Amino acid sequence: MIHITINGRTCHAREGERVLSVARREGIEIPSLCYEESLEPYGACRLCFVEVLKGSRPGIVTSCTLEAVEGLEVLTETPEITRMRKVLLELYLAQAPKAEAIRALAERYGVTKTRFPKRIVREDPLQNRCILCGLCVRVCRDVMGAGAISYIGRGQFTEINTPFHEENEVCMGCGACAEICPTQAIALEDGEQNRVLRSWSETRVPLKRCEGCGRYFAPVPFARYAHEKLDPPLKATVQVLCPECRRKEATRRFLDWTVGKPTIP
Amino acid sequence: MTIRERKELAAGREAGKRKLFPRRPRLAVGLATCGIAAGGDRVYTALESEIQRQNLDIELTRVGCIGCCGEEPLVNVQIPGKPLVILHKVTESDAGKIVDAVMHGGIPPELAFCRIDVWDPIVGDPLVFGKGFDEIPPYETIPFFAPQRKIVLRDAGLINPEDIDEYLAVGGYGAFLKVLAEMTPEEVVDEVIASGLRGRGGAGFPTGVKWNFTKKEPSLQKYIICNADEGDPGAYMNRNEMESDPHMILEGMLIGAYAIGAREGIIYVRAEYPLAIERLRIALAQARSYGLLGKKIMGTAFSFDLTIAEGAGAFVCGEETALIASIEGRTGRPRPRPPFPAQKGLWGMPTNINNVETWTNIPVIISRGSAWFNDVGSEKNSGTKVFSLVGEVQRVGLVEVPLGTPIRTIVYDVGNGAAGGRQVKAVQTGGPSGGCIPARLFDTPVDYEHLAEVGSIMGSGGIVVMDEATSMVDTARFFVGFTNEESCGKCAPCREGLKHMLMVLDKILAGKATSSDLSLLEELSWVIKKASLCGLGQTAPNPVLSTLKYFKDEYDTFLKGA
Repeated sequence: MIHITINGRTCHAREGERVLSVARREGIEIPSLCYEESLEPYGACRLCFVEVLKGSRPGIVTSCTLEAVEGLEVLTETPEITRMRKVLLELYLAQAPKAEAIRALAERYGVTKTRFPKRIVREDPLQNRCILCGLCVRVCRDVMGAGAISYIGRGQFTEINTPFHEENEVCMGCGACAEICPTQAIALEDGEQNRVLRSWSETRVPLKRCEGCGRYFAPVPFARYAHEKLDPPLKATVQVLCPECRRKEATRRFLDWTVGKPTIP
Repeated sequence: MTIRERKELAAGREAGKRKLFPRRPRLAVGLATCGIAAGGDRVYTALESEIQRQNLDIELTRVGCIGCCGEEPLVNVQIPGKPLVILHKVTESDAGKIVDAVMHGGIPPELAFCRIDVWDPIVGDPLVFGKGFDEIPPYETIPFFAPQRKIVLRDAGLINPEDIDEYLAVGGYGAFLKVLAEMTPEEVVDEVIASGLRGRGGAGFPTGVKWNFTKKEPSLQKYIICNADEGDPGAYMNRNEMESDPHMILEGMLIGAYAIGAREGIIYVRAEYPLAIERLRIALAQARSYGLLGKKIMGTAFSFDLTIAEGAGAFVCGEETALIASIEGRTGRPRPRPPFPAQKGLWGMPTNINNVETWTNIPVIISRGSAWFNDVGSEKNSGTKVFSLVGEVQRVGLVEVPLGTPIRTIVYDVGNGAAGGRQVKAVQTGGPSGGCIPARLFDTPVDYEHLAEVGSIMGSGGIVVMDEATSMVDTARFFVGFTNEESCGKCAPCREGLKHMLMVLDKILAGKATSSDLSLLEELSWVIKKASLCGLGQTAPNPVLSTLKYFKDEYDTFLKGA
């Protein structure tokens, strides 16, 4: 355990831990849009700047890439950093005018409108909310191991979607992308028997039917993927039952074991 | 032939000298890309068919470019015992005239550009061509060449880049063999540090210090990379270095590999340089067949080989981490540093990356010593730098001058000022990362610190000259348009910021902007510079900032109501 100082407050940290992680744990707010602890730092949103007062490289650096070392001292809001964030938030407001999370963050910095022309794309698969933070791409590739989506094009024409904008069978339908998206840009819908990833070229993933109640409850490939990771004793019930039926089943077995007779029909 | 000892190297040198100084006349056509574009290949074919038709005892070969691209096509004429004469603006219809004159021991006077009696190839014995042709001006008196000092371009335009023997003849691979026989890796690094050589890719970081970062990493597998992803508009120094003298890059890298402890190296070349790639491939094959690349070189424990990786058309791949991603087959997008490539580079291994021109200086430093190298150039800026002088200037071409040479010398003495009687207004150095320097600051010495002081950068060496007819706002817009197009799109300030910057510049040029747009432009520039992830974004506003600083009046004339 080492000590670092954020805004004058001493915080415990592990050596080499990212300063942004330390701040999050300590409840010190540093705005950030592209950082997630389970992923490698990416350094793309450029909002999480801090000013290093004491450390190997004094100056303004992104806290998602800054490693904690004993005695490190940083400030999270300086006039310079605030000024930078305000302009960046204006740029984000223009890039993703429908993103409520951006609007809320901008408001916290007193930015209510942008001086830049807004980009509105009709029928944008990402609902004019995407800020290209890349979290969805990275979680899909690096955590789920699927790699169903990636960047297309470069520069201002960068977008995120499936290869060739075609339905992608690699997608497991897990929905981690939508879950991690900081601006709720990714649309997915559970239909009758399929999960439809509206944002990802209408990719359809079949849902699994519960053998207990008959309800469709989880994408088939994702259930298979999750199943492979389970301990053998759990495998049997998880594969065939929806969470609700599984709970009932577990309760029934528990009661069987304690009381000896079933109480739940 | 495999070179295993000095004796065999000496034999190679002799073979090369016989090629460089044949007993019969030798004609050599300048066939780098610039020469070919000017029609040099047609001249070559015409000379070839003329020699065959008359069945003449003349040797015909190809060389790279000596730098005066505005005078091309160039043909070197070498008659035994006479000076080497460079013919300029040769056309295919001159072929008959040239061979006739040469067979009679003469030169067509109207084509003669200059003569070279003796040439110093820096790392080898002087090339003594001969005496005579007094009516032709000596090389040293040609205004384009007079202020120049050829160290990097020591062989360019004089030897056949596709023949390793000719490189051996001018002292090639001598530095590498010296290192292998007499120096420890530590001594090599110390020598490079002592030379004060700084990275020629533009940032100017001390090369020897950089080598040490990779050298001291404990890994068994290390890589060295030559960055040949030259992409600044108007810059083609590296292209010529590769096309005219590829072996000097190989030799520099061999020395670097020995010092750093790398067994594998990669030359990352942009695919838009097909001739450079071809000549590098030939050079690699020849060096391998001579045993200068491969396992247990010269019978020592040192093994090293090189491969070529071709880029796929992205400017940002000149940035180290994007370059590594590109070699690994991933999209060329930079990643945050640290970890630096010296710690975690190609395939996660310690990697040292240097620009083409940086590598070419290494054999010189080893052969002539760091003290000699320090005597060239200025304080903390040792050595020379090759610049490509282009734009609205009379004499375009590749110019190699000692660092610290004033801009004035390059633009007026070498370049002879603007064409058509107009005045030079400014120069743009450092490509899209650089800035515009107005004519009143032309006494600024060209070195890393002074260029930064006036708001530009050294960059890789492009110098674009602008005359009074050039609009500086338009110039700034051109460069922002370029970086906007080449931004990888990863980080927001560069991707979004440059897009809006371009829109503001278009608004200004359309006469629809007000002074608040100008302040928005300045604010955006500041944020993009401060907040961007990599060097591309961090320097992209420089053309705007420098033109705002020196040519604000030009912006004002575009404003609404002006």
